[in-house]
Amino acid sequence: MLVGAALVSALVLVGIYLAAGGSSYTPEKTRDPCKHRPWTNPQGLGEIANQFSISALDGAACQLGVSRETLAQALATPEARERFSERYGIDDAKLARAIRAGLLRAIDDAEEAGALSSFLAGPLRGTVEEIPLDQAIELIQNARSLLGNVESFFGPAGDLLEQFLP
Amino acid sequence: MSAAPRPRVAALALAVGLVLADSSVVVLALPDIYRDLDTSVVGATWVLVSFNLVMALAAVPAALIARRVGPGRAAAVGLAIFAGAGLACGISDNLSTLIVARCVQAAGGAAAVTAALELLPATVGSERRATAIWATAGATGAALGPAVGGILTELVSWQSIFLIQVPVALAAAVPILAVAKHEAATGILQTELRRTGRPHLWANLALAMVSAAIAAALFLLVLLLIEGWRLTPIGAAVVVTVMPLAAIVGSRIGPLVPSARARAAAGAILVSGGLAGLAFLPKAEVALTLPPQILVGIGLSLVLSALTETALGGRAPQAIHGGWTISARHAGVVIGLLALTPVFTADIAQQRDDAIDAGTAVILDSKVNPLIKIDLAQRIADRLEGEDGKVPTIGPAFEPLPSDPTDREAVEGLRDELQEQLNRGATHAFSPSFLLAALLGLLALIPIALSRRVEL
Repeated sequence: MLVGAALVSALVLVGIYLAAGGSSYTPEKTRDPCKHRPWTNPQGLGEIANQFSISALDGAACQLGVSRETLAQALATPEARERFSERYGIDDAKLARAIRAGLLRAIDDAEEAGALSSFLAGPLRGTVEEIPLDQAIELIQNARSLLGNVESFFGPAGDLLEQFLP
Repeated sequence: MSAAPRPRVAALALAVGLVLADSSVVVLALPDIYRDLDTSVVGATWVLVSFNLVMALAAVPAALIARRVGPGRAAAVGLAIFAGAGLACGISDNLSTLIVARCVQAAGGAAAVTAALELLPATVGSERRATAIWATAGATGAALGPAVGGILTELVSWQSIFLIQVPVALAAAVPILAVAKHEAATGILQTELRRTGRPHLWANLALAMVSAAIAAALFLLVLLLIEGWRLTPIGAAVVVTVMPLAAIVGSRIGPLVPSARARAAAGAILVSGGLAGLAFLPKAEVALTLPPQILVGIGLSLVLSALTETALGGRAPQAIHGGWTISARHAGVVIGLLALTPVFTADIAQQRDDAIDAGTAVILDSKVNPLIKIDLAQRIADRLEGEDGKVPTIGPAFEPLPSDPTDREAVEGLRDELQEQLNRGATHAFSPSFLLAALLGLLALIPIALSRRVEL
């Protein structure tokens, strides 16, 4: 009788915990950066910049074979970047190539989503293909500055920029 | 006997409780020890493992020596060694010295505990009652050890755990000195020298397996609470006190069931069920650890007393067979710690990374101002660097909160979500270890079943 009571108590406890989600209480899985992440109808420059950064991170992470989140942590500080380089054996040249590729993918995604006109996408591609690593990281962190640069690039025509952005 | 029996019984029970508490007393202090002595979780685990390993190896030889030199002298000298080594533990400033001192402490403790079992029957007048006092004192000490250690660690320091044992051990030795003096004067042993019978293999094997599971339950739960969920040592001490409280309930249930095999089997099932419950916690909430702890507490009381009773029942001399049970229990603790520590340390590193990735995903996908995101990312990165691979306390990385009410609310949401991901990771990291421990508890049912067929 004691053994039966013990068995029932143990099974009831485990059953309740499993039914309450005990087997799936784990961190959320991160998504594959190589899979396209659709843009969600961004409103204004801030949201475009946000989605642009995410697309750029996805593209760079996909090229490096790491998660978008791992790359974002690596780019947060120079010390984090150094640890990332050591852990994954990725030098600055490889990182720069990947980030430029990521920025190009972000421009493609923005253009495809209708968030960026072809008129602006061309000069942006030209800009990111040439920039050094530190500036590329800065752009991926703050895409607003990239779009701001384009605004400056257009100079007096900058007022027209808003017409090309939703 | 030259001393009054009552103080001597109390002193012997105190000695047994004190020594066996030491097998678990540092559990809650381990995080502080590994921070203070700049070592790893695995390194700090050896503060626990070394003591239990020496207890396992020294218990039977110590019992033989106690019978040769006299149990009074063995107990008094053992307690003196235990006290001296405790002092060395308390003043040690590096891991190596601490571990060596713990080994010496265990050797002295083994002598005191096994000699106590030899002295108790003559003191209380009944072998059965002596066994009950000895087993209860040991179980009480082992169960209370973590809570006492946690309280001392937080209120004073981890060193105080050892320093406080010095006067307690010496106080316990005083009433026993009278027996030692009597032995020295007469040269006559107080106990009859009888032929040593074969140890109860199956009961001792089951004891080892169940002890491995129980040690894992205590050790892993404490680490989950302190390192995973960031409770203070005193907070964790309060939480794990549920286990000894439940053990007291279990000790009341035990006498109602005459069959030692049924009590042992029920206890092993409860311990395993509790451990499986801890493996499948549906949320990182302290309250959810209570039902599993109650099962483990009741189970350990039932199974340890039943198996000790079976291992000692009708066997003589008691000290030698008591030595075998001590040896089996502490060997089990060592196996549990050594087998499970690498599993959970590997898991916690992986789960920590997964949790941080999940939290980062939440931040990246949020609609918070990108400049705030960059700032947050940098502060979180600094925080992770400062925590050096451990599960971080993430809250301070979000301070100060933005002054804009909308941004503030959004950042608070991100902080909570990141913390939730870390909680999920920390909790899940312990699951495989708890499940393995549960399996060990269930496997103990095999020797428990065999013990009936072969021995009873």
